Amino acid sequence: MLATIVDWKTLGQVAAASFLAGVGVTTAFSFAIMGGTRMVDMRRQGRSVEAGAYGALLILSLVASAAAVAFGVIVMTAK
Amino acid sequence: MSDDVVLYIVIATALAFDFTNGFHDTANVVATSISTRAMSPKVAVTFAALLNFVGAFISLEVAATIASGIVNPDDITSTIVFAGLIGAIAWNLITWYFGLPSSSSHALIGGVVGAMIAAVGTSAVDGESLLGKVVVPALIAPIVAFSVAGLAILLAYRIVGRLRPGPVNRGFRLGQVASGGMLALAHGTNDAQKTMGIITLALIAHGSIDPNNFHVPTWVVVSSATAIALGTYSGGWRIIRTLGSRIIKMDTAQGFSAQGAGAAVILASSHFGYPLSTTHVISGGVMGAGAARRLSAVKWGVAGNMMVAWVLTIPMAGLIGGAAYGLTRVFGTGALGPVVVSILCIGLIAAVFGRRLQRGSVISAEAA
Repeated sequence: MLATIVDWKTLGQVAAASFLAGVGVTTAFSFAIMGGTRMVDMRRQGRSVEAGAYGALLILSLVASAAAVAFGVIVMTAK
Repeated sequence: MSDDVVLYIVIATALAFDFTNGFHDTANVVATSISTRAMSPKVAVTFAALLNFVGAFISLEVAATIASGIVNPDDITSTIVFAGLIGAIAWNLITWYFGLPSSSSHALIGGVVGAMIAAVGTSAVDGESLLGKVVVPALIAPIVAFSVAGLAILLAYRIVGRLRPGPVNRGFRLGQVASGGMLALAHGTNDAQKTMGIITLALIAHGSIDPNNFHVPTWVVVSSATAIALGTYSGGWRIIRTLGSRIIKMDTAQGFSAQGAGAAVILASSHFGYPLSTTHVISGGVMGAGAARRLSAVKWGVAGNMMVAWVLTIPMAGLIGGAAYGLTRVFGTGALGPVVVSILCIGLIAAVFGRRLQRGSVISAEAA
């Protein structure tokens, strides 16, 4: 009976999108923290190339996190 | 004249429900931020109240009103809506008293279904729809949020685990401002809509709005947004304590993962038009973020009490809604019934709060 009553297809889409967005945002933000922390450490040690690479990781991860927030606001306003 | 009085009472009751909705659900938005000290309690509830207010203006699409498809819309009357709201408010206050997070949406659905059964009978309620649209999603929502938050925190620990704790904590605290803000906005958008929908339907039933020219009056938007924001600002400290520290002691990464997972699940469900309870999602996220680190970190006794409250929400709100309808009808079909029930409810709430105030300040006891 449940098979016909519940819209399993949509529920599956919700679960998949939730995993993608939820895990994605936390992962991206964790990389941003890692990038920022390591960048400072590398700079202190005078390793400018590594510091630059971690700086790039910080920026890319922050852009990804900000894009996720912006998409969330768009989803809310488009309802 | 009698219709006008009933309309005013329904509007006042809907706004009172909106206030308890904000008051009850503040915890969903701010508990993890307060617990991890990302924000001070006062700043967190003010921030949440402001974003709840803003969120209420983001979307005015109220076509999918509460309980639509579950009860027969042709049978709904102002008195049924009133009794349903009484059931929802009563259950919100009872669960707040015991510090248990429970779904305000489910309380409202339960209240309306109970009042509908008392008024018309079980034939007016679509049981399959209730199961498919409310009960099954209520079971799935916390499981999805639990899994998302669990996986997210495992990955986060893997990425930041070897870093100095100072910058990591500062980073995640900063992130919680954004994730908490998203939750507050989503909550304001979703939940204030319910009150707007109910008031607009009452206005249509009264003849104040032409059903062929469906629109939400500006005063309805502003009053609903204000009621939910004021409720949020009042802060349901008992539930904040349960969600923020009694289920697990959270670190900043867990707080961010729980909120991030919660916001992702709520927004994904909105995007695909499959509404899930904010309360169930956030509670599932908090438990998932705790259990992924160590299963024993979660106080399963507290979590169990919470789940019992979830199971009881629809039947208990329904029972109270049905009783409120029955009591209303004792006084006939006019405005006297709603007036008497409203006075009784206000008196009961005043008596309970008055007794607590005599024993000591509610606010100081809660905020402590």
